[in-house]
Amino acid sequence: MTATTPLLEASNVNRSYGDVDVLEGVSLTVDAGEVVALIGPNGAGKSTLIRVLTGIESPTAGSVDYGGPETARPVGYLPQQPAFRPGFTALETLAYYGSLVGDDERVAREGLARVGLEAAADRPVEALSGGMTRLLGIAQATVGEPPVVVLDEPGSGLDPGMSVHVFEVAAALADEGRGVLLSSHDLELVERNADRVVLIDGGRIVEEGTPAEITGRRDAPSLLDAFERAVAGDAGTVRLVEGSP
Amino acid sequence: MSGEAGTGEDVASEVTGRPVIHDGRPEPGTAHIVGTIVRRELRTVARTRSFLLLGAALTAVLLGVGWLGGGLRSGYVPTAVDLLTPLELLVPVVAVAFGYRAVLGDQRRGELDVLRTYPVASWQIVAGVYVGRAVGLVVAVLAPLAVVGGAVAVVEHDTAIIYATHAGADSPLLYARMVVLTVLFALVVLAVAIAISAVASATRSALALAVVALVVLLVGADLALVYGLSAGILGDGSLIHALALSPLSAYRGLVLETAVVVAAGTGPQTAAPLSSLLGLALWWLASLSIAAYGVERA
Repeated sequence: MTATTPLLEASNVNRSYGDVDVLEGVSLTVDAGEVVALIGPNGAGKSTLIRVLTGIESPTAGSVDYGGPETARPVGYLPQQPAFRPGFTALETLAYYGSLVGDDERVAREGLARVGLEAAADRPVEALSGGMTRLLGIAQATVGEPPVVVLDEPGSGLDPGMSVHVFEVAAALADEGRGVLLSSHDLELVERNADRVVLIDGGRIVEEGTPAEITGRRDAPSLLDAFERAVAGDAGTVRLVEGSP
Repeated sequence: MSGEAGTGEDVASEVTGRPVIHDGRPEPGTAHIVGTIVRRELRTVARTRSFLLLGAALTAVLLGVGWLGGGLRSGYVPTAVDLLTPLELLVPVVAVAFGYRAVLGDQRRGELDVLRTYPVASWQIVAGVYVGRAVGLVVAVLAPLAVVGGAVAVVEHDTAIIYATHAGADSPLLYARMVVLTVLFALVVLAVAIAISAVASATRSALALAVVALVVLLVGADLALVYGLSAGILGDGSLIHALALSPLSAYRGLVLETAVVVAAGTGPQTAAPLSSLLGLALWWLASLSIAAYGVERA
């Protein structure tokens, strides 16, 4: 890895489901120490792109290259709706995932502490609130110290305070030197915390840059305004890419 | 991950081409990963009350059948004869209950997706889930049969032989053979249930598939054999080998051949033991292979 090598690089990624092209020619990078926010209307292809970037799904065309250090788990992943097997405590759950990369229970406790869940270590996962479950999911995403952490809508469904906390955790992960890619609809928090923003619409990247660069190019006072101008006429509707049934 | 994004394992091996080191420690080996999954399954089984209830219910039913059938008072082989038909019905039910949601639950919660970012192969997931559930199932099947065996030892006496099949030499060893074969049968059905769990996309379809599998195992395969015999597709000489195609027939034939008929000294051959064992092994292997494929495709 050189200083110019991104931790994660997607090059001309296409992803189709039958006749439906969900992603078309998507290229982006995630570098160490930065928070990259993926924004876009519902149905724009954000979650599909995340599943391709994490290796859960293969691109129909194009490539995803990991350029980080050798490690057991290059990319950590928080799904959009994190859920865990009931009957286990938060600590047991995290220790299970940790054991898969050779970590012990001490590391699992540290993972809980990182997201502020140490007090809930012995609470069954089914007794965790939505926010706490998401925090446990973020802790899971960092198991094995992956150089890249991908969070799919980490603030979704959380109260404002918890959303702020989740974004602070993401920023802290970047401060540790990781590359963080997250998707979100909370553009205020994105503008406040993201180093770089990628706006995806109809399966294509339509804007990319720092929040200031995007608002400047769109001559918008805020990222939300820039978003609305970039997807003019479509805000508030669910986007279906061409060929969608 | 170049070209196609792969699993964490793919990424690690493709990037390094050498043994992967994580924080100065070697990446966990297969035994460690499978062992981790096995321990999780064991905890799940131990913490699921319905499994305990299943074991208790099986114990009560088998004791009741053994007592009412007179087998308990007559000896081990008569008890094995009394229990055979109930076991043919109940063991698949218990095995399917242990396995049909084992993989499906993780899939529905999205945990299988998450596991793809770990250095864990699909077959390791299936192996861990299967072994963990199998340990619980073996206990759930073995314990009731041990209780019944213990009851025979306590209440058995030489009189009151009710059925002709109860005549002949008796031995706890013959009963033990039936127990071992029952456990093997349960493990085969569990593999089928795990395969169902891995290929099902929703709980309702898993339950439907489980019911279909039960019907096929309990009725369909036997009916197919009967049809084959009546239609002349199967000859009399090949029947005992054809029975190996059905797990249920293979199990029944093995029990009769090795634990019941042998007690009488002579009698018609009820199964080809080698073919039957091979048939069960093939069902087991094919089911677990399908399960691994299902997890990979999930």
